[in-house]
Amino acid sequence: MAESAQTTGGGLSPEASEEDAVHARDTGGMRSRRFVGIVLFCVLAAMWLAGWYSGTSAQEMLSLTIWGVMLGGILALGGIGLTLCYGVLKFPNFAHGEFLTLGAYVTYGMVLVLPQSNPIWRFSFGWELIIGLLLAAVVTAGVAILLDRLLYRPLRRHQSPLVLLAMASLGMEFLLRGIVYLLWGSDFHFYYSGRSNPALHLPLGLRLQADQLFVFALALILVVALYWMLTRTRIGKAMRATADNPDLAQVRGINTEQVIAWTWTIGAGLAAIGGVMYGLASQLRPDMGFVLLLPLFAGVIMGGIGSAWGALVGSIIIGIAMQLTSAFLSPAYGPAVAFVLMVLVLLMRPQGLFVQR
Amino acid sequence: MPLLKVDSVTAGYGDTEILRGVSMVVQPREVVSIIGPNGAGKSTLMKTIFGLLHARQGSVTFDEHDITRLAPYRVVRLGMCYVPQVANVFTSLTVEENLEMGAFPAGKADQTESKERVYAMFPKLRQRRRQLAGKMSGGERQMVAMGSALMLNPKLLLLDEPTAALSPKLVDEIFERIARISETGVAVLMVEQNARQSLSMADRGYVLANGENRHEGTGRDLLNDPNVGRLYLGG
Repeated sequence: MAESAQTTGGGLSPEASEEDAVHARDTGGMRSRRFVGIVLFCVLAAMWLAGWYSGTSAQEMLSLTIWGVMLGGILALGGIGLTLCYGVLKFPNFAHGEFLTLGAYVTYGMVLVLPQSNPIWRFSFGWELIIGLLLAAVVTAGVAILLDRLLYRPLRRHQSPLVLLAMASLGMEFLLRGIVYLLWGSDFHFYYSGRSNPALHLPLGLRLQADQLFVFALALILVVALYWMLTRTRIGKAMRATADNPDLAQVRGINTEQVIAWTWTIGAGLAAIGGVMYGLASQLRPDMGFVLLLPLFAGVIMGGIGSAWGALVGSIIIGIAMQLTSAFLSPAYGPAVAFVLMVLVLLMRPQGLFVQR
Repeated sequence: MPLLKVDSVTAGYGDTEILRGVSMVVQPREVVSIIGPNGAGKSTLMKTIFGLLHARQGSVTFDEHDITRLAPYRVVRLGMCYVPQVANVFTSLTVEENLEMGAFPAGKADQTESKERVYAMFPKLRQRRRQLAGKMSGGERQMVAMGSALMLNPKLLLLDEPTAALSPKLVDEIFERIARISETGVAVLMVEQNARQSLSMADRGYVLANGENRHEGTGRDLLNDPNVGRLYLGG
C-alpha cells in the first residue's frame, strides 16, 4: 500500500478524486464505516512496517505515530473550522489556511513585543506566548468576520453561485499571504531561537518534547470543548441547525447572520491556535497555511465535509499517515500521501467517513 | 381588530407574479383554511405572510405591527410560527433539539416548561426525544415540526399542507391535533389539499385561484356552495 502511495502520489489532483467519487457512487461502491476503518488501519499498519523495514527503529516509528496524532490535532483545529464554515455557508473557504498563518504570526509579533517571562515548566515558551495565542485567536476571528462583512456577505446577499464564493476565498488566500509577507518578510522564524527544548523521558523509549505534549493536550482540550459547545449549548445547536437547513433555521427564529458570525469566530479562532501550535512544533513560514491547506482539505473531505467528528478523525488519520511515510519518503510528499488516502476513502465511501446517506 | 390582516398583496419570483392582490384576515383564536387548485399561490401566500418572500405591493399586518418587510426571525418574535410543507425538521438533530430550536428566540428561559407542554400534546415525541428527526416517519416528522412551532406559544400558527403525502389514517390524526391546538387558543391559518376535511373543521375559509381571491365564507357555507364544490372540491 505504501508502495502505491509512493508511485501514484505525485500527479494526483483533487479533480481526479471527485470524478472517482462520482464513479464509485454510480457503481454502488458503498462500504460501511467499519469496513473503511479496517482498510485504513491496514494501510497505516503497512506504512508502519514499511518504515520499520526501511531501517527506522520501532521506538522511532512509535514516536512518529505520536507526532502524527499531534499533527492531526493541529490539522483538526483548522479542519473543524473549515467543515463548520462549509456546513453553514456551503462553500469551501480556501482562505482558511491563512487563518493558521495569521494566528501564528500575530502570536510571533506578541512574543517579540511583550516582556519575556521565564519558560513555564519544561516548555520552551513563557506566558507571553499564551497571551499572544489568545490575542491571535481574537484578531484572526476579527479578520474572518471583516472578510465576511466586506466580501462573502455581499456575495451571499446577491445569491452568487458558490463557485464564485470559493474563488473569492482563493483570492483572499493570496491577499492575506501577501500581507504576511509584507509585514514579516519571507524568512523562516522560530518563536524562541536558542532555547533548549529537551525531549522528556517517557516509557517505551518515546521521544517527545514538552512543547509537543502541550500541543497535543491543547488540541485535545479544544476539540472536547468544541464538542461540548456543539451538543450542549444553545448557540452550538443553532449552528448545527443552520448547517442542516438554513431556511428552516430562519423560520424557527434563528438569526442566521448571527450564527454565521459565530461560525467564523470559532472557526478562525481555532485555526489561529492551530497555526501557533504548528509554529511551535516546527517553524513559522509565510506559506505554512497554504502548505497545510491541502492536508486540511484531505482530512475534512475524508471524514465527510460538514461533520465536525469527521474533520477530527480524518485529520488525525491524515496526520499519522503523513508522519509515518516521512520515515521512508521525503516529507515533501506529505500532501500527496494525504490525497491518496482521501481518494482511497472516497472510492469506498463517497460521502466520507462520518456522513450518513 | 383582526390578528392578521393581508391587504391587496402582490408577490412572486423574478418576472412571474404569483399573487395578484390577495386580501384576507384571521381573527384571534380562529381556524382559517385556504383552498384552491395547484398553482393558485397558496404556499406563496404563506411565505409572503411570514416574510420569506417580500410583498411587492400591499401590506401584511400582524397583531398591530406592520410586518410587510420584516425578516422571518423577527416575525417569529411577534408570535407567529410557521410549519413549511417540506424540509420542516432538522434531520440531523434529535427530536428534543428540534423542539429547543423552536424556542430559540426565547433564550434559555422556560424551555423545560415549553417542552413539557409540547410533550403533553404529542406524547409520542417524549418517547422519541433522543432520536434523530431524520430517522422518523412522515407523520412523526409532521408532529415534530408542529411541536417545534408551538414551543414559543404563538398567537398564530401557519400550516402549509400539514397532511401532504400522509396516509388517510394519519391525515385524520393530524386534523385532530390541529383541532386540539386550536382549543388552546392558538389561531390557525392552513393551506390544505384535503379541502373538504379542512373546511369542515375551519371557522372560515378562502378559495384562491390564479393568485386572486375567488370565494370566502364560513367553512360550512363554502362546503355547501355548489360553485365551490364543483370547481374546487371535486364535485
